[in-house]
Amino acid sequence: MIKEVFVVILLAVGCFFFLAGTLGLLRFPNLYARLHALTNADNLGVGFIAAGMALYIGSPWTAVKLFFIWILTLLSGATTSYLIARFRKEHDDSANGNGK
Amino acid sequence: MELLTDGLLALLTAYLAFRCMLAPKLSKTVFTFFAFGLILALMWIRLGAVDVAIAEAAIASGFMGVLLLDSLRDFSPSYSEFEDNIEQPPNQVAFAKRSLSQWVPAIASGAGLLLFLFIALQAVREVPAGGGLAAFAEAKLPESGAEHPVTAVLLNFRAYDTLLEVAVILMGLLAIFAAGGIRQFRKPSLPPAKDPVLRKAILIFTPLLFLFGAFLLYIGKSGPGGAFQAAVLWGAIGILLHLGGWRIFNALSRRMRRIIIIAGPLFFLLTGFALMARSGTFLAYPPAFAGFLILIIETLAAVSIAAALTAIYAFLTD
Amino acid sequence: METWEIYSLTSVVIFAIGLGGVFLVKHFLRKIIATVIMGGGVFLCFVSFAKRDTLNFPDPVPHALVITGIVVAVTAAAFALSLARRIHKITGEETFEEKE
Repeated sequence: MIKEVFVVILLAVGCFFFLAGTLGLLRFPNLYARLHALTNADNLGVGFIAAGMALYIGSPWTAVKLFFIWILTLLSGATTSYLIARFRKEHDDSANGNGK
Repeated sequence: MELLTDGLLALLTAYLAFRCMLAPKLSKTVFTFFAFGLILALMWIRLGAVDVAIAEAAIASGFMGVLLLDSLRDFSPSYSEFEDNIEQPPNQVAFAKRSLSQWVPAIASGAGLLLFLFIALQAVREVPAGGGLAAFAEAKLPESGAEHPVTAVLLNFRAYDTLLEVAVILMGLLAIFAAGGIRQFRKPSLPPAKDPVLRKAILIFTPLLFLFGAFLLYIGKSGPGGAFQAAVLWGAIGILLHLGGWRIFNALSRRMRRIIIIAGPLFFLLTGFALMARSGTFLAYPPAFAGFLILIIETLAAVSIAAALTAIYAFLTD
Repeated sequence: METWEIYSLTSVVIFAIGLGGVFLVKHFLRKIIATVIMGGGVFLCFVSFAKRDTLNFPDPVPHALVITGIVVAVTAAAFALSLARRIHKITGEETFEEKE
């Protein structure tokens, strides 16, 4: 019973982060802020949901797999965000340079 | 609760498919298509088809998405079907621009589509319950050399289909070569990507993807996974390395490339003929060796498909 | 309403949307995507009937056919993409429409 309560709390927190991240993605004014919102959703949302699922299933092997899934999401999310931001910055810089 | 989940998923898929067709910008179409593929993968999981879900997410959404994203570079990304009026709601534009006579074909085809929709809905509702082939598959499963029914069907009961399918991929590759002119394949390679973060990420992901592909290949014997899913992950390695500027596939000699791409279907075919000589039926595995043969065929097929996917990507993007 | 019923009906809707897209949408890329969506509808129909025929596990034959089908569909779509890009490179056209 106590385990279920914890699972529900973890999943709810994860969903909250996803919701906040999505809201930020839709509402934030510029690309960098949007990317920031997205990383919140990726890192914390997926992390909490993975933790909740690991607790729910309760087998250590599955917990390890879920942990690795989380780490891989972190890695790919961070890399793509960085690449998008860098591309945008180079784009902006060259546009400004041409403007002057 | 289940009804709610399924209903929401169904509505979401239909909506995404619709948006995919009507999105004002081409880039939006492509990104909606990504989302569509992933939601479809969730639907496969709801239907108990985990193998199909992995294949859908990896091939139809992932690989296809990469190809589409890359073609966005060719086609002007700001292309719009509702030209120069992206800010206005599209239906207003259409109303203002077209006269009545231009509307007739649109209305006729819309009505035809609706009619088709109703007939097809009726037809699907009235498909007779035949029981399917699950009982046969279950009865023959112990002789097949695989514990997972889908793998057993793919590589034993209907191995003929799978062989032809690997051949179709080969044909697709040849057709792409033919359509583009084979000379483009031997372009000078770009210098490796300079970005340190990207290089590091690719170097981390390459062994992980290889390991995960091998895991899927091995686990395909007893659970969801198998040659195709593994092949796509291995193909993803090739695509990643290409993106990073390591033209690994072009670095191999032409003969080596051919051997790798041919190896899977060729071994499959030779095994089939060898077994035919032995027992008189094409691809009838003896139950004692079935597991071993299936594993070898799957591995070679996975390597070949991965190489073919990498070649398709390398060729289309050069 | 059973799960498989919902999805078999959805498959028809998706197929119809894809079919409409193939005829009504003009750009090459969208036509190709429309055919892939159409294929998705057909596969969904197959797998939903596999779910109906579940004994100890869902009917594996449609699953296997759908997996091979997905791979073949994607290969064919890649071929179509290469043709479309070739046409675009040679003629500069993005649709089959006549220019006025």
